[in-house]
Amino acid sequence: MQKKQDIKTMTELDKIIIKYKNTPGMLLRVIEETQKLDPHKCLNHKTLEYIAKKTKTPVSKIYNIVTFYTFFNLKPQGKHSIVVCRGTACHTRGSRNLLDFLIKYFGFNEPAEGQQTSLTTNDKKFTLKTVACFGQCALAPVVEIDGNIYSRMNPEKLHKIIDPIIKKRKK
Amino acid sequence: MKESKLSVKIDGKSYQVEPGLAILDACRNVGIDIPTLCYLKGLSKEAACSICLVEVTGAKALMRSCVTPINNGMEIYTNTERVRNARRINLELLLAGHPKECLSCDRSETCELRKIAFDMGIREVRFPKTSKTEFPIDKTSVSIIRDPNKCILCGRCVSVCSSIQSVQAIDFSGRGKASKVTTFFDQGLASSVCVNCGQCLLVCPTGALTEQNETEEVWKALFDPDKFVVVEVAPAVRAAIGEEFAMPAGSLVTAKLAQALRKLGFSKVFDTQFSADLTIMEEGYELISRIKNKGVLPMITSCSPGWIKFAEHFFPGILPHISTCKSPQQMFGAIAKTYYAKKYNIDPRKIIVVSIMPCTAKKFEAKRPEMKDAFKYWQKDLNLKKEDEFYDVDYVLTTREAARMIREAGINFSNLNGEDFDEPLGISTGAAVIFGATGGVMEAAIRTVHEVLTGKELEKLEFNALRGLDGIKVCEVDIQGLKLKVAVANGLSNARKLLKDVGDNKSPYAFIEIMTCPGGCLGGGGQPFSADGEAKPKRMETIYQEDRNKPLRKSHQNPAVNALYKEFLDKPLGEKSHHLLHTHYSRRQEPL
Repeated sequence: MQKKQDIKTMTELDKIIIKYKNTPGMLLRVIEETQKLDPHKCLNHKTLEYIAKKTKTPVSKIYNIVTFYTFFNLKPQGKHSIVVCRGTACHTRGSRNLLDFLIKYFGFNEPAEGQQTSLTTNDKKFTLKTVACFGQCALAPVVEIDGNIYSRMNPEKLHKIIDPIIKKRKK
Repeated sequence: MKESKLSVKIDGKSYQVEPGLAILDACRNVGIDIPTLCYLKGLSKEAACSICLVEVTGAKALMRSCVTPINNGMEIYTNTERVRNARRINLELLLAGHPKECLSCDRSETCELRKIAFDMGIREVRFPKTSKTEFPIDKTSVSIIRDPNKCILCGRCVSVCSSIQSVQAIDFSGRGKASKVTTFFDQGLASSVCVNCGQCLLVCPTGALTEQNETEEVWKALFDPDKFVVVEVAPAVRAAIGEEFAMPAGSLVTAKLAQALRKLGFSKVFDTQFSADLTIMEEGYELISRIKNKGVLPMITSCSPGWIKFAEHFFPGILPHISTCKSPQQMFGAIAKTYYAKKYNIDPRKIIVVSIMPCTAKKFEAKRPEMKDAFKYWQKDLNLKKEDEFYDVDYVLTTREAARMIREAGINFSNLNGEDFDEPLGISTGAAVIFGATGGVMEAAIRTVHEVLTGKELEKLEFNALRGLDGIKVCEVDIQGLKLKVAVANGLSNARKLLKDVGDNKSPYAFIEIMTCPGGCLGGGGQPFSADGEAKPKRMETIYQEDRNKPLRKSHQNPAVNALYKEFLDKPLGEKSHHLLHTHYSRRQEPL
């Protein structure tokens, strides 16, 4: 069964690799689409090794890429994503407080220093992440919930916004 | 048309410099040194350390001299208050996050970071260590230890692994505070395509990359009255170990080294050059047999264990081209624990073989699971059980580790008078010495193959086309009408260029020598950290000088090797040779 699933994924991967062959930035696009294929929006070992072989890229380089961009996930993601911007502008306008609030709100443990923040609830419904910059600095601080940007946030405002969304999506 | 020189002003003085240079190189060319922790000429240009800052008139910010090209009319200042302050702050920031273990660090004496900090007058680091992140130390490899906590992210290792060796086992990962150099999914070097060459370790400015230290085990064996500890020394070690004792690069210290090892307490001081001669006998005859019997050609040498692992990973299709001969290190171990044990009636279980190598990959080679042929040889006669199992070679020390032991024992190396190696496994010819330089194995093999095939004495022993530090060298040898095209590559990215043709069955060569490290073993990852940038050609000259000094210069003239065949092995490629001196290789990755 596992084997069958693997073969299916491999053919999907082949299609993606052929699609982007010889286009600029092909590796990023291939990895991005591969991540979308995964039900938990997450990249694993095996698929990355496969991409490495097929694109003749060293696995060390692939690992460099997927750990550099916060967009790429190496851990299974929740169904809904909440992303706090930790760029300079958002930081100076209090995004640390937003992150602390959300960590408390979901009851997560404080992430270890130096580690990429990616926290998922036990029911696999919500993932809390940070990003280096959304490019929405004029609206700082911003939080993105399932692709929508919420601007000029503070913990109270965020609480009021997030409560109904969470309740609705929990169902 | 040759581009004209540029007029520049450096520190108030006018100079004419070559166009196309970076400021740093231009300054160094006129004798002004600029400190750097990441730049390596022709190798690494990461602009990562920010120590090489200079002031350029008209530029707003200070410039990194390693990546800023020099322009006509440029006015550069390398020593202003602004430059000095900026360099010091950058250095202090690097030091703030760096572990303060200098007293017990492997690179204590040779650390570039420590030296630059000292030279730049840093006596106090004003910034506290803020990061609490402790990275795990990668001890998975039997050759190399990586401690990311000591890493300053200069990128030299990544660069060397990629450009010199085309292996790319390591790369940066993460970002910001989480940045480090690592392998795929942090699995560790042992699970990666790392070939254990140790070139990364030679360029590392700090103690982030070090060899697996085996000196403690060797001390223990030396003080164990129950063990008979013998040592073998590779050719390239004698051309370099003097540098560890403040002697100039290129000092030839063969006799001093033999004496120092005897003083350390080794029961017998033998020479890997003995088994290098033996290798030439086996490999020479293998080549002749392949040519005569239309075997797989080109044949490729097998002495360099980094190259072997490289082939197993990246070129599994060409494995039949690689000579089945073990490397001299492994041949020595197998012979010491069989022939020598028998001849002198010593229990092979009590023999400990220590080898001193210019190499970190040799540690890996010695621990390859198939390298237990002496054990297999004795298994029946001595009724050995699985738990009695022993390797042919027990411990491998790098040149640096051996020097450390000699220092620890209080031996005044440079003042030693010198002694000879022990017989019989310490006898060697000039052909064995040159194994230490790129092209040497090829030259040694030709000396023997020529005489075996023609039965006549070779007039000129030196093959100058095969000497020197070029990445790829080729030559055509005429053996009484039989024209043999041969090629020599050093550095795996150079090897790659020859291997493509071999894989496509288009190689014009009959015999190819491949050495993993640039320059061959004399530039190996186990050699001293040299302050002398010109150490390699000097070591090379020493090796050829030793060859010239030897009364016998062809492997088949080695009386001890001939006795070994007469008393034990019978003939090259014979039954016993097959079991003890030859090996096999296996593909390390699933094909697509």
